[in-house]
Amino acid sequence: MRIGVATGGAGVPAALADVLEAAGLPAAALRTASAAALITVGDTTWVPASGADVLAGCVRGAFDAGIVGKDLLLEEDADVYELLDLGVGADAIVYATPRGPAAGRVRSRPRVATPYPRVTRRHFGATGSQVEVIGFGAAALAPALGIAPGVVDLRSRVAAAPLDLEVREEIAAVSLRLVAGRAAHALLADELVALLERLRPSREG
Amino acid sequence: MIPEGMHDVLPPETAELRAIENALCRRFEAYGYGEVRTPWLEFAETLEVAEDDTLEAGYRIYDQQGHELMLRTDMTVPVARLAASRYRDKPLPLRFFYVAPSIRPWAPQRSQDGEFQQAGAELLGLSSATADAECVTLLCDALAGLGLKGYRVALGTVAFYTALVDALGLPAHDREKFLEALADKDYPLLESIAGNAQADEAALKALWRTLELSGTRDGLSQARKLATSDAMEDAIQHLVEVRDLVDDAGFGDAVTFDFGLFQDLTYYSGVIFEAYARGVGLPLASGGRYDGLLERFEWDVPGVGFAISLDRLHDALEEAGAAPAAAPVCLTFVGGLEHPQQAMELRRAGWAVRALREGAAPQARPWLVREGNSYRLELAEGAATSGSWKDMLRALERA
Repeated sequence: MRIGVATGGAGVPAALADVLEAAGLPAAALRTASAAALITVGDTTWVPASGADVLAGCVRGAFDAGIVGKDLLLEEDADVYELLDLGVGADAIVYATPRGPAAGRVRSRPRVATPYPRVTRRHFGATGSQVEVIGFGAAALAPALGIAPGVVDLRSRVAAAPLDLEVREEIAAVSLRLVAGRAAHALLADELVALLERLRPSREG
Repeated sequence: MIPEGMHDVLPPETAELRAIENALCRRFEAYGYGEVRTPWLEFAETLEVAEDDTLEAGYRIYDQQGHELMLRTDMTVPVARLAASRYRDKPLPLRFFYVAPSIRPWAPQRSQDGEFQQAGAELLGLSSATADAECVTLLCDALAGLGLKGYRVALGTVAFYTALVDALGLPAHDREKFLEALADKDYPLLESIAGNAQADEAALKALWRTLELSGTRDGLSQARKLATSDAMEDAIQHLVEVRDLVDDAGFGDAVTFDFGLFQDLTYYSGVIFEAYARGVGLPLASGGRYDGLLERFEWDVPGVGFAISLDRLHDALEEAGAAPAAAPVCLTFVGGLEHPQQAMELRRAGWAVRALREGAAPQARPWLVREGNSYRLELAEGAATSGSWKDMLRALERA
């Protein structure tokens, strides 16, 4: 099976490699993997790649399965089946603003910086609040940079921001998920179930 | 420059696509389907009866009288319109097929081209599993007939989900929203709707299990275990009947069950199916039963059909090394433009001849060059012969 693994910025998380190895998958090589490589061990080929590439590869039938963050699944709205919560990389997409009273007047349409513009628009749209969404990768820096007072980003990144930010709302819980494209789902159903059955207990253990 | 989402098709791809179309047409005809064409433009209100959300952004224009017109976004609705308006007093069942382009707003995130060519079949007037099975069989036969190997047709049913959702005991308003979220595979939204409406716990658990394990070989036995109402049992039984009939026709190996299959077209009412092949992540074909559609044209007749995406099928055939031979090998004839009688003689002998002016550089082999009254023929690199016109004809006959 060819499996795309989202690496994020800092390679494959050790906790993910732990879960995969506990399930008996040959994932040792993933621990030192850099992006853009094909790592073949037995009949498994790992492809460390950006989360967006893992999704695109699954949708296009290049990967039989993929491992990506729920944050990206929510943002990209990609046409994949979400098969299993791997229980690794647990985090949350949150809305945060600088702690303390708002500096200056409250705008009728506050600005919110985020690497997840679609999630943000959907969330505020559903709750009836009007915000101006600004796509900005390092959103946690946005208040300090004066780009926007509000931030929608992962809780872990918000906590590490230079300006003290207070979480106002949790928008969605996220973690790494096992996904498969529609074609793989139809063509490799048995292999996918076998993979699920190996991963399920190791995730719980 | 052309608008975003549109594309040209060049040789030899166009010829390959044409060969695929022709093969599909012959298959459809072998099952007694009759080819139809419908206009590019329909009244917007005609297409809107489908209540498909992709329609909202469809291309609309106004005619001189101020009627709102729309470019068709698929062929199922126009064929239903055609049948309801012109075949009302004809004996049922009716069988139609088409090969036609449609236009939708370009949506790269859904891998949706602006203009796309489809070949499809519609079987109207039968509501039985036998009719569903004929459509699935025809689809398998059409794909297999083109030499595509290892394709799969995933078989699912809308009825199973609607029955499952009924068992949740949601209020009518939430039920609609829930079905929409199901089509979008928006699981968090599903959870929040079910949570807020205090849905039946057991039924909800069954739903998650179905979504998770859809598509597997033992999906059928899983679904059987999950069935908690007669409606669910019936939906499963119907699928089994369809699969058995397709098996009798010789295509059982290609069929898998996918209880997670749920399409966003609101007009599907029963069996739905999608075809996949290795190397192409997106479905090559999709179809299903749409019993409520003709009723929207005030003609209560059931229907089932499918459409094959020609571009994706072409990709799949290429991937499988089974792309149909395009145009015949073409002989370049330098001097053929000045001597049309000789070019014609070659064409009558069965050669495709690309005529060039005398003295022009022959670009692609095989080529025949006329120099005064002598000729030089090069069938392949290093395989040249020279001589008279008669020599050339003899050499070409042997080739």
